[in-house]
Amino acid sequence: MAARNETIFKWVLYLCAAFALFLLQGFLLQYLTIFGAMPFLYLVPVALLAMFEGPLSGSLYGLVLGVLFDLTIAGPIPCFYTLILPLAGLCAGLISQNLLPAGLLCSLVDTVAVFVMTDVFHCLVLALAGKAAWTAGALTALRETGATLPFVLLAYPLFRTVFRRCHRDDPHPVL
Amino acid sequence: MKNFLKQHGIWVLFAAAVIAVALALMSYFSNTSSPLANLAGAVTSPFRVAYTAVAGWFNDQQDHFRSYQDLEEKNAALEKQIAEMEDDVRQAKSDSDENARLRELLNLREKRKDFEFEPAFITERSASNWTSSLTLNRGTAHGVAVGDCVITEAGYLVGVVSDVGVNWCTVLTVLDTDTSMGAQVFRTDDIGVAQGDFTLMKEGKLKLSYLPEESNLLNGDLVLTSGQGGYYPSGLVIGSVDVVKQEDSGSAQYAVLTPKADLNDLSEVFVIKSFDIVN
Repeated sequence: MAARNETIFKWVLYLCAAFALFLLQGFLLQYLTIFGAMPFLYLVPVALLAMFEGPLSGSLYGLVLGVLFDLTIAGPIPCFYTLILPLAGLCAGLISQNLLPAGLLCSLVDTVAVFVMTDVFHCLVLALAGKAAWTAGALTALRETGATLPFVLLAYPLFRTVFRRCHRDDPHPVL
Repeated sequence: MKNFLKQHGIWVLFAAAVIAVALALMSYFSNTSSPLANLAGAVTSPFRVAYTAVAGWFNDQQDHFRSYQDLEEKNAALEKQIAEMEDDVRQAKSDSDENARLRELLNLREKRKDFEFEPAFITERSASNWTSSLTLNRGTAHGVAVGDCVITEAGYLVGVVSDVGVNWCTVLTVLDTDTSMGAQVFRTDDIGVAQGDFTLMKEGKLKLSYLPEESNLLNGDLVLTSGQGGYYPSGLVIGSVDVVKQEDSGSAQYAVLTPKADLNDLSEVFVIKSFDIVN
């Protein structure tokens, strides 16, 4: 029972952390243009959680956020984010599990990976609809990722705090 | 002292009487004040001056404080008045803008009596870098439906409603890659399809494709909705021709359009809820 309560508590905290980033996006970043693109913090929680909690949790979290985004953000196809974010979470989780130790560098790499996957999917959807725009898409992806990366430095401590708070009793705590 | 008075008291009394009589006589015959009064006045005069000066200083301070308080109150009242006037000016500017919009809308209403409008305010702009959308504060509760056209007060097309809720709707602007509609060049009557293009979206432009081979478009040609198919009303201004280009395949030409509606500077728009289909 205690373990279940802790799990619920952990996920509530992660959702609260994501919600804080969404508020930042909605109230401030929505009106900012950096490098010709708007910072897009919505994808960052997926990358950070997958890095801390692993590929499976990252996928599940990506699925939940994907459904949420599809309900609230206009996408090129229905279920766009529901399809891509679990995969992006899985990829980010695998990177932190096999390639880089969880940390700031890994969070930046994971964020780039999530953006690359999502934006390639954007371009693919456009191409499948007969409106291929690979060059413009790549440029937008580059600008969007560049505009968002500085804010990862802000989001990373938030998720690390949640992770540390929820994994105090682990025998081998990461970070 | 007692002895002195016993020995010389009579002389003292006499001298006092003489002085008194002398003073009385001088007072009687003099035009000025009595010498005693004069003397007393002369002695107390510096004190009077000092007293007056001090009292004057206190009065000045009091007056200064009082006038400072009055000034502060007046200043506060004036500041409040200025704020109210500035508020009135802002309100007047807003009313004036709204008035201008409504006048233009009235002109459009007179021209297009078949349109049924629903005014709406923009509550959010594009939430991602990959779409060009607006969220409005009107939904099914106000009769808005998917596919409704959204225009400015001047009749310039803004976009089409793509998603609708009870009190909100999402509009894909004419720049979005999912927007596509029949279009007609006003000068030549050439028919084409106006559609969003991702490459052009970032430049704030859209594409007019499927133009007839013999079409001869000029820079600045006005492009309107054709109304063909009955999905959208005819005659809404989409934009003007910016440049005519050849498709990559070289088989056809397309025009790059600049939308007439200033999509970055919109606050209020009008949803066309119903219109007459013109064949």
